[in-house]
Amino acid sequence: MSASPITKRVQDDVPRYNDEVAVGEDLEFQRRWWKFENAVWILFGIIIVCDVLGVFGRGWLARAKATTRDHAVVLSYERMERAFTPAILDLEIGQNAIRNGQVTVYVSGSVVKELGAARISPQPMTSTIGSSGYTYVFPVTSSPGTIQIALSPPSAGLRHFRVQVAGSEPIDASVLVFP
Amino acid sequence: MAMFTIIRAVFGYLLLIFVLRISGRRPGKQLSPFDYVIVFYIGGITLTGIVGPEASLTNAFCQIMTVAMCHCCLAWLRARYAWASRVIDGTPLVLMSNGQWRTQSLSNMRLQDDDVMDSARSFGTRNLASIRMAVLEPVGEITIIPREERSK
Repeated sequence: MSASPITKRVQDDVPRYNDEVAVGEDLEFQRRWWKFENAVWILFGIIIVCDVLGVFGRGWLARAKATTRDHAVVLSYERMERAFTPAILDLEIGQNAIRNGQVTVYVSGSVVKELGAARISPQPMTSTIGSSGYTYVFPVTSSPGTIQIALSPPSAGLRHFRVQVAGSEPIDASVLVFP
Repeated sequence: MAMFTIIRAVFGYLLLIFVLRISGRRPGKQLSPFDYVIVFYIGGITLTGIVGPEASLTNAFCQIMTVAMCHCCLAWLRARYAWASRVIDGTPLVLMSNGQWRTQSLSNMRLQDDDVMDSARSFGTRNLASIRMAVLEPVGEITIIPREERSK
């Protein structure tokens, strides 16, 4: 049995320029593409400006603060964060939050699981695991003092968390994590 | 999740194709230092986001297979549909014909008459007057069709 190659008749269907050279130019498509390109460059510019301003985290627009009514705690965080990128959650403890030289801070489990709390500074005296979160006790000598929680979100999405200092109202906040 | 590594690989591949397509064709048969910077720099930046913290061999293997599959799909689309070929590669563009520059094509492709002359020299053409037609190919090369010498 002969293995003959599969063939097809050559069709000279490439558009010609000036009825001479088969160039295959499609100027109409190219003009539409140039308009599209210009729109994309504008979009790239907008994205870069948004990035500089912090729309995607790590910038001015991303910074957020929340305070309890009694000013016992001021929570500083970023509304927008990026996955696998370090971020800091600051808890500024006021005089009202200090009880017997200690401050007791509760953070919801999402701070550890969804926002990837990697380190807490200073080290708490005690850490207690609860059903929905963690309770830390810190020694305090003077106020205001700051507790820092280093975050590194492991995945993208909208994350909700709660922080509460014993004797004060809770602060609920949300963070949008970009991939 | 393993699925996200695959999604990241697909996204990275398509993003690179798109950005390089938008960045425009650069004339020349070989990559210039200018092109090397773009290719390696964008590639390197993309790599950090695509691989992420998962530096395992399994992850690399699966992502390479994913990129190969994406590449095969795009090549099939190009071969099967003319519109896909136009979108992915672009079409040839006449830059000069019978002594007339196509100024819109030149400026939109960010090219100068010097770029055409560079290519003309490699075709053995000595000056712009000897060029009958200059065509920017989808791969970025400028093809020169010289004027036919009149028979004596």
